[in-house]
Amino acid sequence: MHHKGITRRDFIKTTGIVAAGTVITGGAVGLTPGTAWAKKNNVIVGMTQEPVNFNPLLYVNSGTEEVPEACMFDALWDINDKGQFIPNLAVRVPTLENGGISADGKLWKIELKQGVKWHDGAPFTAKDVEFTYKTIVNPNVAIRSRSGFDLISEFKIIDDQNVEIHLSKPFVPFAWAWQKMHIVPEHLLAKVPDINTAPYNTNPTGTGPYQLVKRVAGSHMVYKKNAEYHRGAPAIETVIHKFVPDQTVLYTQFKTGEVDVLGLHGVPPERYEEARHLAGRNALDTPAPWVEFIYFNCGKPQFTEKVVRQALYYAVDKEKWIKDIYYGGPPRTLSYLHPTHWAYNNNLKDPGYDPGRAAEMLEAAGWKKGSDGIREKNGVKLMFSMSTTAGSKAREQAQAMIQANWKEIGVAMEIKNMPASVVWGEYTTKSQFDTLMVGWEPTVGMDPDYTARCHSKQIPAKYGTGSNYVQYENPDLDKLLEEGVLISDMEKRKAVYHKIQAILHEDVPFAPIFAYFFMYGKKSDLAGYKINPYVTDITWNIQEWSWT
Amino acid sequence: MFQYIIKRFGQAVPLLIGVSIIGFAMMHLAPGGPLAVYTLNPTITAQDIERIKHVFGLDQPIHIQYLKWAYGMFTGNWGNTFFGGRPVLDVILERVPATFLLMGSGMSLAIIIGMLIGILGAVKRYSIFDYLATTGAMVALSFPTFWFGLMTIFIFALKLGWLPSGGMYTLGGEEDLLDLLTHLILPTVVLALVLVAQWSRYTRSSFLEVIHQDYIRTAKSKGLSRGRILLRHAFPNAVSPLIALAGVQLPWLFSGALVTETIFGWPGMGRLFVDALTMKEYPVLMGMVMITAIAVILGNLLADVINALIDPRIRLE
Repeated sequence: MHHKGITRRDFIKTTGIVAAGTVITGGAVGLTPGTAWAKKNNVIVGMTQEPVNFNPLLYVNSGTEEVPEACMFDALWDINDKGQFIPNLAVRVPTLENGGISADGKLWKIELKQGVKWHDGAPFTAKDVEFTYKTIVNPNVAIRSRSGFDLISEFKIIDDQNVEIHLSKPFVPFAWAWQKMHIVPEHLLAKVPDINTAPYNTNPTGTGPYQLVKRVAGSHMVYKKNAEYHRGAPAIETVIHKFVPDQTVLYTQFKTGEVDVLGLHGVPPERYEEARHLAGRNALDTPAPWVEFIYFNCGKPQFTEKVVRQALYYAVDKEKWIKDIYYGGPPRTLSYLHPTHWAYNNNLKDPGYDPGRAAEMLEAAGWKKGSDGIREKNGVKLMFSMSTTAGSKAREQAQAMIQANWKEIGVAMEIKNMPASVVWGEYTTKSQFDTLMVGWEPTVGMDPDYTARCHSKQIPAKYGTGSNYVQYENPDLDKLLEEGVLISDMEKRKAVYHKIQAILHEDVPFAPIFAYFFMYGKKSDLAGYKINPYVTDITWNIQEWSWT
Repeated sequence: MFQYIIKRFGQAVPLLIGVSIIGFAMMHLAPGGPLAVYTLNPTITAQDIERIKHVFGLDQPIHIQYLKWAYGMFTGNWGNTFFGGRPVLDVILERVPATFLLMGSGMSLAIIIGMLIGILGAVKRYSIFDYLATTGAMVALSFPTFWFGLMTIFIFALKLGWLPSGGMYTLGGEEDLLDLLTHLILPTVVLALVLVAQWSRYTRSSFLEVIHQDYIRTAKSKGLSRGRILLRHAFPNAVSPLIALAGVQLPWLFSGALVTETIFGWPGMGRLFVDALTMKEYPVLMGMVMITAIAVILGNLLADVINALIDPRIRLE
């Protein structure tokens, strides 16, 4: 049969070629990233909490409210992931060595960068720094903390680019005060009648790498890059800060790819294992500043002897505590610092879990078991209470475990938990407790200084100031603490703080258990993200992020 | 009728004052308070906390704080939030559209489906459908919402990838109507589930009561069609308890759904309430309590008035 048109054979042939061509080109297109993928120029940071105040001096919730801070504002200097201060709005970080701090340690000279502009185009000058300081010390402003700034005795503007700060006493960790407080614009805020309720707080102008362009309350915030940024324009065009209140749902969105960076509160503990093996994602073990302690009130007769505190520390099964209650996530620490901290003393020896040795130590020190099986000495029974915030499930489980641990060596502990406002009120500050279970961070930013917590003149029950709630007194330690805040060289400071940690490890006024951590996450092709143990802000270097 | 409405408004005033006093007292008596977030921070001294307390006006006696708040409320100043310092009314009003959309679609879906199931169940009482519907309603009513919500996310967002797992829009994408609708499906269904159960039960019993009345038998004996009997004769008489139910549920349009909004990250009033409660934002909480109380009063009044209008047997005195 003869056909003038297309034969069946022709038809099959043509279709075959076309089909093959389609498959090949289709495959090629499929292999090369699609246009939408290649053009990804935003990053979505998901968190369970939402910032409500974007004024860097007024916010309350670190972790989430630090995102607007990092996007829109700058501090005089930042702290990098190695614990070193790096200049930001200041030309250099003042030290004794570079002459920025006077020999007596009381005068700080700060030179500011030239040519930095606020988002509205106005120049950044020394006036802004002065205004920020004045706002912080203004009693009518609800600033969360004036820590460090109360040391300033005089603030002097030399010219637009130079300021001098006089301190009432030399204090090297003073640098932390300015790292925590970002600079706000004088030209926009000086005339505002009440800065607490200023519209500026939800629509701020800063000097930072990004500008807020949109906010949908309860949902997300959108930032556009500041092309004029003084440290160079950021690579990513848009930052979206997304709020998903349920931790499990947020983690699910991280898995589906709806969020690129999983921030606060990170992976739910029971999902740690799974999260470590997700394809195309990195699990980020991020140290948090808090350390979980058992606090011993050295002012109570049960705990005056060092050997009792040591024995109690031996008798607690610390590994089981971390493994069974916290899914093995948080790292063990032997000091008040996170084990990744630059000043952490790695030579400390873990006492381990040794109830036999604990019992022997108590026996040898004269603490003998009475008829009720509880040890006593000179009429003092090893019977006491332990308190923490009521309703914290993990802590309650830990308490039950410790109670059993101590019962084994003839020590009776009663669990006495209270609402937060009660237990952390005078019950703590006036040292009325026997023992506490607490999670606390260092007192001056992430500086290793620990004066407030263990210097003998910092016992609030005796002197009305400080936070040495355990009422620990040791003149040798006092001397070291005073020495530590006068040194600006990191290596020299390290030596001092190693000694401090060794003394505390020997005397156990508070028993460190583990350092807190969060497991955050990011897509693997997000570059520039750096885990920084010295800040609680995952976006601290957001201007350096980029997609590969 | 007009007089009746005026009288009801008059009765509402002492009610609202009572609600506000109880709400205010309970909030301030609960342990914690907005400054509790500061107590765990070692760099914040007791003096700092006292200072902030003073700035917030929390150092004054409770009755003075209440009177100040009440006066402000009366003069249209609902106060500022503690954290953020924004006017409370702004903070609340910006959440209304999202809540309205979610609650409106959830309730509409529930009312339509619920009433259909209820009517069918009443007409075919003791049929297999009726038993299934009754059991289904019981099961749906006893589902914990958070669990059901998480399951829908697990199945439709994570496993099948058909629908987004939360939020109102795809961030960074085109925020168009289609995108909004796909985000609306899961929370609406979860929200509607419990409501469908309620509405079907109410509708069923209300219709059962009516369809065994004499006039329905009369209508049947006249040879009217089933549909006509149901719609023309039974429906208007059976609907009045349902209007009352709608009146009771109306405030939800404003107060939102706590659990559903939290699970699906829906930026509505329920979320605002949970957040404000965690932060102990007294001004926001009080504002929401008052709005809800007003909505409850209005909802009930509206239901009464509508019932009076459609049912000549009811007279409002």
